[in-house]
Amino acid sequence: MDSRNTEVLIIGGGVIGAAIAYYTAKSGMEVTVIDKGDIASGTSSRCDGNILAIDKEPGFDSQMSLESQKLVDQLSKELDLDFEYRAPGSILVCESEDEMIAAESWVERQKKAGLSFKMLDRNDIKQESPYFADDLLGGLECETDSTINPYLFTYSLFHGATKYGAKVMLRCEVEGMSRDSVTGLFKVNTPKGEIIAKKVVNAGGIWAPYIGNMLGLDIPIKPRKGHIIVASRDMPVGMRKVMEFGYLMSKFGKERTVDEETDKYGVALVFEPTESQNFLIGSSRQFVGFDTRVDMDVVNCIARRTIRFYPKIADFIIIRTYSGLRPWTPDHLPIVSPVEEIPNYYIAAGHEGDGISLAAITGKLMTELLQDQINTIIPTDPIRYSRFKNVSTIQT
Amino acid sequence: MRDHKTIICRCEEVSLEDLVRTAESYRCSSRELKLRTRAGMGQCGGRTCRALVDSITQKCTNDSTPHDIPLGYQAPIRPITFSIMGEKKDE
Ligand SMILES: Cc1cc2nc3c(=O)[nH]c(=O)nc-3n(C[C@H](O)[C@H](O)[C@H](O)COP(=O)(O)OP(=O)(O)OC[C@H]3O[C@@H](n4cnc5c(N)ncnc54)[C@H](O)[C@@H]3O)c2cc1C
Repeated sequence: MDSRNTEVLIIGGGVIGAAIAYYTAKSGMEVTVIDKGDIASGTSSRCDGNILAIDKEPGFDSQMSLESQKLVDQLSKELDLDFEYRAPGSILVCESEDEMIAAESWVERQKKAGLSFKMLDRNDIKQESPYFADDLLGGLECETDSTINPYLFTYSLFHGATKYGAKVMLRCEVEGMSRDSVTGLFKVNTPKGEIIAKKVVNAGGIWAPYIGNMLGLDIPIKPRKGHIIVASRDMPVGMRKVMEFGYLMSKFGKERTVDEETDKYGVALVFEPTESQNFLIGSSRQFVGFDTRVDMDVVNCIARRTIRFYPKIADFIIIRTYSGLRPWTPDHLPIVSPVEEIPNYYIAAGHEGDGISLAAITGKLMTELLQDQINTIIPTDPIRYSRFKNVSTIQT
Repeated sequence: MRDHKTIICRCEEVSLEDLVRTAESYRCSSRELKLRTRAGMGQCGGRTCRALVDSITQKCTNDSTPHDIPLGYQAPIRPITFSIMGEKKDE
């Protein structure tokens, strides 16, 4: 069997592994990416492509997204392969007075954090799309929000990374690993032979806990399933991304006033026009293990939610449905961090529903961490692995 | 098969030329070929071109054991409207 050496080994060829590979290779490091399947064969090809600040907790979370948005804008100019980048902004719509009040405070807090947010009234909503239900009261807008095609983005980052010398090993699963206590080098076992790495980055998404477990780590990531409907656009419904305000509640696990099924499946309306003549409708949030089969009861519930916000979409055609698994963490923030107890071992996983948004900033930050830089592009404390140390039982 | 302008996926207007070029340069699975070109992702859900896309992958990557299982079917098998999908069973 062969044995090969690399300075940095990235485990996982999803959008996160891709962004880390791009920025590390560009900075001159010698890097190898390994994936058990193809590029973007995990969650990164079973999701939407929104690069959003609108749905991020005001403060660190939303600023991290804003930084990532700026990086994606740069990437759209520096990468060779197109990834359908557009930056039309996005909106949230409210169906009750209570939501309008909550929306106002959301806008105030985001503005304080330095983001470009504003309230929308009934008229603005009507202007946005003639398809909206008449009873919607208003909403809010985030101007900087952008959108991309997630798997084309991943392919493009890999294309860029290999130009800077990154190596990619596909259909090759990491089956085990150990760290030599004398040399500090990692010995990584695969069906195609052994890889010796100075540094390892675990970018395994929902599988990060299995990979971490090979060295005795307990990484608190769980799959949180989401469904999407692909529909064909007979007429232009709207130009930019729309979500119901209740999406925030569902995302952060807060109470909502909706029917039992909508609540049970965590269904909240998300509308996303794509560059092809289709649009995507989401969303749902469930903890049901690693099952990626489409559940028609959930799709049914999403279709009903769509008609509540867009009654006139009722006659539009659904082409297909799919589902993916978000890498969830208990505090809804990713882990982008060294692991103190294992020198030269890093984790970049647990981005839940924000991995596309946060890939660029994650790649940039991980490159700085791998080079032991003190001044990093964003503060690292909120996303350190060690924040979970004293959490003995993690609740979902 | 050398008339490369032939359209393989009618819904998304993807030609044989596009498919062969992409399959040859990335030597990828059928699923990746579909995502990179959009073949099979249109209105008909790939009912027309699925088998062709699978066979192009096999030919171009010269691989008798495909990397991936053949292209799958995503529900609904035939396009339906939101109102039919959203109907409650007990209504
Ligand atoms: C329905 C849905 C909608 C979403 N919409 C959005 C959105 O609009 N905006 C947004 O920002 N985010 C969105 N997300 C979230 C986003 O998709 C994820 O956060 C992101 O794709 C995670 O990327 P990743 O690279 O961490 O994981 P993955 O893409 O899953 O990559 C992990 C890779 O690791 C590989 N791997 C695992 N174990 C091993 C092993 N032992 N050896 C080798 N390789 C291994 C896997 O094969 C896989 O390719 C959505 C998610 C879902 C499910």
